[in-house]
Amino acid sequence: MKYSFFPGCSLESTAWDFNRSTRAVCGALDIELEDIPDWVCCGSTPAHASNASLALALPVVNLQKAELMGAPVMTACASCYSRLRTANHKVRHQPAERERAEKVTGRPYDGGVEVVHLLDVLVNRVGLDAIRKRVRRPLHGLRVASYYGCLLLRPPQIVAFDVPEHPTCMDSILAAAGASPVDWPYKTECCGAGLSITNADVVCRLGHRLLSMARQAGANCLAVACPMCQVNLDLRQADIHKSYGDLPDTPVLYVTQLLGLALGLAPDALGLDALSVSPTLLLRRGEVAPGVGGGATS
Amino acid sequence: MTLNTQRLVPSSGANGKEPCGAVLICGAGIAGIQASLDLAESGFKVYLLEPSLAIGGKMAMLDKTFPTGDCAMCIISPKLVAVGRNENIEIITLAEVEKISGEAGNFEVVIRQRPRYVDSSRCNACGDCAEACPVTLPSEFDRGLGGRKAIFRPYPQAIPNVFGIVKSERRAPCKAACPAGVNVQGYVALLAKGKIKEAYDVIRERCPLPAVCGRICQHPCETRCNRKDLDEPVSARDLKRFAADYVYAHREEIQDVPPQPAAPQKEKVAVIGGGPAGLTAAVDLRMLGYAVTVFDANPLLGGMLRYGIPRYRLPADVLDHEIQYLLDMGIEAKTSTRLTDPAKLLKSSAAADGNGSEHGEFNAVFAAVGAWLSGKLGIPGEDAKDVWPGLKFLHEVNTGARPTIGPNVLVIGGGDVAMDAARCARRLPGVKSVHLACLERREEMPAHSWEATEALEEGVIFHTSIGPTKILTENEKVTGVAFRACTRVFDEAGKFAPRFDDAQVSALAADTVIVTIGQGVDAAALAPVATGPGGRILADRETLATNVSGIFAGGDGVLGPVSLVDAMAHGHRAAQAIHRYLRGETQPANAPATSTSEEKLAPNPQPDAKPEPRRPMPQAAVGERLAGFREIDLGYSQEEAIAEARRCLSCGLCSECRLCEKACKPGAICHDMAEKTRTLQVGAVLLTPGFEEFDATKRGEFGYGFAPNVVTNVQFERILSASGPTAGHVVRPSDGKTPKRLAFIQCVGSRDTGCDNDYCSSVCCMAATKEAILAKEHEPDLDITIFFLDLRAFGKDFDRYCERAKSQLGVRYIRSFISRTYEMPGTKNLRVVYANDAVQQVEEEFDMVVLSLGLEPSGSVQEQAERLGVVLNRWGFSETSELCPLDTSRPGIFVGGAFQEPKDIPDTVMQASAAAARAMTLLAPARGTCVRTKTYPPERDVTDEPPRVGVFVCHCGSNIASVVDVRAVVERTRELPYVAFADHNLYTCADDTQNLIKDTIAAYRLNRVIVASCTPRTHEPIFRDTLRDAGLNPYLLEMANIRDQCSWVHSQNPQEATAKAIDLVRMAVSRVARSVPLVDETAPVRGGALVVGGGVAGMTAALAMADQGFPVHLVEKQRALGGTAREIHTTLDGQDVGAFLDQTIARVTDNPRITVHLGSRVAKVDGHVGSFTSRLLCDGDGAGTEIKHGVIVVATGATEQKPQTYGYGSDARVLTQLELSGRIGRDDLDLPTNATVVMIQCVEQRNQERPYCSRVCCTTAVKNALLLRARFPAARIMVLYRDMRTYGFRETAYRRAREEGVLFVRYEPERPPQLDLDGHLRLRLYEPAVGRDLLVRPDLLVLAAPVVPRADRGELSELLRVPLNADGFFLEAHMKLRPVDFASEGLFLCGTAHAPKFISETISQANAVAGRAASILSREEIPVSSQIAWVDPDKCISCMTCVHVCPYMAPHVGLNNKAEVQGTVCMGCGSCTSDCPARAITLRNYASTQIVAAIDGLLTGRAQEPDLEPVFPEQVGVAQPRWHVSQPAPAKGTP
Repeated sequence: MKYSFFPGCSLESTAWDFNRSTRAVCGALDIELEDIPDWVCCGSTPAHASNASLALALPVVNLQKAELMGAPVMTACASCYSRLRTANHKVRHQPAERERAEKVTGRPYDGGVEVVHLLDVLVNRVGLDAIRKRVRRPLHGLRVASYYGCLLLRPPQIVAFDVPEHPTCMDSILAAAGASPVDWPYKTECCGAGLSITNADVVCRLGHRLLSMARQAGANCLAVACPMCQVNLDLRQADIHKSYGDLPDTPVLYVTQLLGLALGLAPDALGLDALSVSPTLLLRRGEVAPGVGGGATS
Repeated sequence: MTLNTQRLVPSSGANGKEPCGAVLICGAGIAGIQASLDLAESGFKVYLLEPSLAIGGKMAMLDKTFPTGDCAMCIISPKLVAVGRNENIEIITLAEVEKISGEAGNFEVVIRQRPRYVDSSRCNACGDCAEACPVTLPSEFDRGLGGRKAIFRPYPQAIPNVFGIVKSERRAPCKAACPAGVNVQGYVALLAKGKIKEAYDVIRERCPLPAVCGRICQHPCETRCNRKDLDEPVSARDLKRFAADYVYAHREEIQDVPPQPAAPQKEKVAVIGGGPAGLTAAVDLRMLGYAVTVFDANPLLGGMLRYGIPRYRLPADVLDHEIQYLLDMGIEAKTSTRLTDPAKLLKSSAAADGNGSEHGEFNAVFAAVGAWLSGKLGIPGEDAKDVWPGLKFLHEVNTGARPTIGPNVLVIGGGDVAMDAARCARRLPGVKSVHLACLERREEMPAHSWEATEALEEGVIFHTSIGPTKILTENEKVTGVAFRACTRVFDEAGKFAPRFDDAQVSALAADTVIVTIGQGVDAAALAPVATGPGGRILADRETLATNVSGIFAGGDGVLGPVSLVDAMAHGHRAAQAIHRYLRGETQPANAPATSTSEEKLAPNPQPDAKPEPRRPMPQAAVGERLAGFREIDLGYSQEEAIAEARRCLSCGLCSECRLCEKACKPGAICHDMAEKTRTLQVGAVLLTPGFEEFDATKRGEFGYGFAPNVVTNVQFERILSASGPTAGHVVRPSDGKTPKRLAFIQCVGSRDTGCDNDYCSSVCCMAATKEAILAKEHEPDLDITIFFLDLRAFGKDFDRYCERAKSQLGVRYIRSFISRTYEMPGTKNLRVVYANDAVQQVEEEFDMVVLSLGLEPSGSVQEQAERLGVVLNRWGFSETSELCPLDTSRPGIFVGGAFQEPKDIPDTVMQASAAAARAMTLLAPARGTCVRTKTYPPERDVTDEPPRVGVFVCHCGSNIASVVDVRAVVERTRELPYVAFADHNLYTCADDTQNLIKDTIAAYRLNRVIVASCTPRTHEPIFRDTLRDAGLNPYLLEMANIRDQCSWVHSQNPQEATAKAIDLVRMAVSRVARSVPLVDETAPVRGGALVVGGGVAGMTAALAMADQGFPVHLVEKQRALGGTAREIHTTLDGQDVGAFLDQTIARVTDNPRITVHLGSRVAKVDGHVGSFTSRLLCDGDGAGTEIKHGVIVVATGATEQKPQTYGYGSDARVLTQLELSGRIGRDDLDLPTNATVVMIQCVEQRNQERPYCSRVCCTTAVKNALLLRARFPAARIMVLYRDMRTYGFRETAYRRAREEGVLFVRYEPERPPQLDLDGHLRLRLYEPAVGRDLLVRPDLLVLAAPVVPRADRGELSELLRVPLNADGFFLEAHMKLRPVDFASEGLFLCGTAHAPKFISETISQANAVAGRAASILSREEIPVSSQIAWVDPDKCISCMTCVHVCPYMAPHVGLNNKAEVQGTVCMGCGSCTSDCPARAITLRNYASTQIVAAIDGLLTGRAQEPDLEPVFPEQVGVAQPRWHVSQPAPAKGTP
């Protein structure tokens, strides 16, 4: 199983732990990743909020580069995934958009490069059976609320590899890893996304709403697959506590970090020390991975 | 493809050719049922096609109906029975149209009918089959909330009242995947129900070694199991083992005798090889009646099972037991016999003759010799003493010899045999280490992964990706093996093509080497049979015949080493081939093909099933395992097995376990039925396929599909229904608790452009209101909220109904669209977010949410419509036009019901009758040509005979007899007076028993009959018919319902149930002895129709009747025809109403059968249905004309009430909508280009004074707004409304108006717009969305004035003695099911006289009148029931009580001043009988003497002596009995 990997900017910076854990997990599951050489930013929210040509051309440039590699493109970041898929969708279905993309990039592109998300690969290509067989340290005792966020599965005509309103792919991966996923209603609610800097109040309010519901549902941690969600819920948790003060610390881990632990990978290889809310205590209680560092807020 | 919108008048006529008098109706919901009855009752043959098992459609699923609150089942059930009974309606279930050719009047239709698997003529609906059936599937009828069996009847009242099976069109994957053809789903289903022996029997049908197979089969069935996509496959193999082990372990309780073979055949067959292939063939051949001898070279039978499979996987005693079982079937075995020449066994063969040797005694030979040669490595050192061929090693171990081998063993090979050898070696004493080396990588190893895993667990050490080059020896003793690296094993095509890297070498130390690298066949001994590569025998793939005639070969010997189940499959195939060979047949086998290509496999029918991992098979601990050769898999316990079996998803739907076949006493079940096609000749086709509900999972945000407490409105109807899955208790699916807060979310899948359903489904607002009311009635404390967009209560009395819900029952209506629900953790409550009146976001939690789903045309109809050549609109409904609402695009094919547009039941029924009328018009010349009427023998006169009662007590299979002691009932009944005969029957309603009844009536000269069985509701007509066939009056039958009222309700108390049955029969005897023959009379039909009202309704009705050949008098009080439609210039879809009106008037005046009376009114009406006499008065004509007619149609229309508010009448700029329509039509509007036009809806209506909706105003406003927008593009148009009621497809015009810039502003009735008139029109209105008043200065103010009934309606109402409703509209007989009939027979109504409606609806209703009236007008005489009230003139005191109480106005005081009941009008309800103070009235067949006699019979409880003289003090107006008993007692009959 080989993929052209598009890490994206977040994974190169704030979400380096997502990057590291993704690569580690893929390695453990025999998923070969080859980075797209010389990739550029997908444009993310800023591009598509300001310039339609740019929002289309940036992902297309990356896809054109990937086209030469001959393997499907995989990405772990929900936002990158959304932008790449959207670009493909437009190029495939709207001739004018295709013309625009080709004009801006100066190269032909027919939308033919397949783009898949890490979760899609794990559930539908590697398969839960294979994951189950590779689990070395089942995540017993972890009650995880899987948090998918807005972008991963919506709009369904562009991205959905799972039920858009009630996704279960992350839950099944975590169940295969021995954790107990909790059913909760805010799986696809918004975390405040890009308002993290500009309107932190909104992010705190939404974050608090999400964390309280996860706690109410019996979760003791959250699993995410989006750098933005992770930052808003993990990094902002101190602020959330300051404003509301009614919740215990709730570690927010990338799904790859949790899966990596289950596969027996070392905490170091998963970047666990990058987390603000340290999962150490939680993991120690579950005897999943002793001795995890980090912990800015705990 | 669109319709020609200019087509204003429906086309008809059958193009010169004689039309056919039969009609095909597709879809048997309420629309199809109504149309069938109308057509059949007026002389047409009907084929009623239904895709499901039973007729009834969606209405049968409803609990109650709005706004009358009738029980839906109670009102539809009589119609179902009527359809079932009508001999001119042929119900064809499970069928759909395949092809249609021909043209209007003469169609040829090919239909495809799927098998029911039950012979309808034999099924008695006793339900024994469903009781026996082990498969429970989600019930479609209960929308998945309840379960049903694989053989079922959708609901108890279903017609046809027979059971049926719906099988998956594809095969259950497990079953399809089993090479031996074992019915996997069948035995798993039986185990799930704890029917272990039955499961075992199913296994044995195709598997002669169940316990063996249950241990070592490689289970391809599990690989295909659909459950794998959900969690893990069902452990089919382990379950098989459980079934066999259980039966063997309980030999004392469970009889397990081998089945009897078929009648002996004279031929003998030899089987060479006692392995699985040979044994399977031997068993099959033995069962076919052949004498079979099995030869085996080994001392014991079993082949590889015994000598190859290690004992820890397959214990010897299991094998011994199963082989002994086969030998007990009469199979002879000759062991330790190695045959050299199979040809010598043959009685006659070229080979045998040629050899000149002696002839054998066998007619055929099956060679299943196996593959016993171990493959060789071909490397140096292989011949060393301590190198063991794998099979030899296993053979030694399995025969109990403990081969002496060294302590360090190395196994070479990666297959199952390698694992077996390695694991056996681990168990041998003295062995210290076992290593295993193979070419493949771990994941490529050919051994089953679980075998490899178990080997690893037991301490076998694997060395992968190495190939041996040399066996190292020292002094002839093995010391180890040298290896080189294997870089790949398989090439790109997956073929075995290993490559090695000689540079990478290694060595493993060992003192014993076991080589397990494949098996070969030693077939050389089988000469003269030809062999091929690897020594394999050459045999035909299909027939398994070898080159020697009479010799067949199969199993490992042909295929090389294969699995047990493949070997068994070969055995089955060989037996079939040999059988055919010996019988001289040539056609190939039709054994179940094991095709596992995906398209032939059934999908998972329960994709929502909860994940539930498989029960692990308990295994011995590793330590215990290695201690010896004891079996390591321990087997399921009974509980584990049942729990595991319950995980089965029943993919084939029916499991084909055939228990139903065994349970069915009448032998009605036939699993081999095949699909049929039929060709029907019909003159017209009606499409009434109904609708499907929107798929709620497409709107996943509401939680349907994963949140259990979110249900659909159809599911909620089932929850409310007393016969539903919760027996009418309002409970939440998640925990069965009664909810406290319930929310309805409206418009799910309606008015929704997101899922392309941008039309309104018309019924949901009212349906939700009804469900809310019902839920409140069930649970008064329930808080109910309905979240809606516009409350569309546009029908007759609908607003009142909603008002009642709101103000009396406290149902909360919140105008807010809900975007999603959140299921709360723990409670599973649903949190809903909505905007309140102050436009604030509110979060509220509900215990349960009901989604009001939109109506969609059904998916399967789409293809059918295409085949019929009918154009569909963009949503898939039938395309029609507003002025031709009943005609599809293809002449001769008509449409009715929700397939034309979403509609409620009355509109559906109306349209169905109307579509029927369209067919009648087309086929009028052929009326009566395809129907038949039954003839009966002349009736025997029994007035002079003393009663001789025959009693037939029914077992109803075991339904009655298992509880009620029917013999005791018969014995006790024989003691009763008058009883001349009594006996019991298995099924009294069966054909043969009915004949028996006829014969008994003749033989015993019976003149009264009692059937003690089930309910008269369904069965009385059958037995009455039997009496008529036997020459007896049908009213001399009585039924005692000893099933429903005895065996069913008192099933726990058989003694009391029997006593009650005896009582009921005694009551029936007492009563029937006093029954008298009643003769149904007839009344003549004279003349045609009188239609009152010359508008669109009256003219359409007149034409629809006249075109069928009936004379019509059309009375119009104005001087011209046309009515209100003159003011309407165009329809919403742009059709020219004026042109339509002109054409219609011309057709009416040109029609020779229609007499138009202009300027006239009806002055007097006398008579009854079939023969009315009326006097018409024309202006200025004193005397008037008298006309005779058979029916009356009220089509007097309605009018627009001119408003008294908003300056209407005082300011020329204020108009009504109707006036605006006229002005637009005449192009008579003078407005500035940038004019402001304001429309106010609901003016002087939907208020205290007029609490109803005029239905048409919203659409008219939208239509006029769009017309104005087209004419004055710069105008500002504003519509002030309360609820926009643009139902159905009108919704799209409403949206278009908004898109084109028409402003819609809602107002609350408490804050209506205020008008200031000071030269300018100044309108002040409150805008709720912005929360403040707006000021508008309209140039034109248009008022939606109410539609009100005509002022002179009271006069006509009194004249015709027909009622009006509270709003002054004429009141139909029944608001749901008789929307165009008055309660009195022969009177009909249509158009706006009934209620406000659109032209299209008026046209439908007017046609419906013609459809209904035809059932009277098409006859020369109409039947009049004799079971009616009769007034004894001697007792009548002329008090008029009967006249007052009768709801049908049947009694009147006649010429002699005594009351008389008109037979044609009386409905036999008995109201007058009970109210008559002089007791002068008797309801025939319910005379007090009969009822008192029945009660006496019950209370006295003893056999009375027969009366010597007839005791009939009561006059009933018919011939009185004149008998007297001359004999002491009538002879008692004994069977």
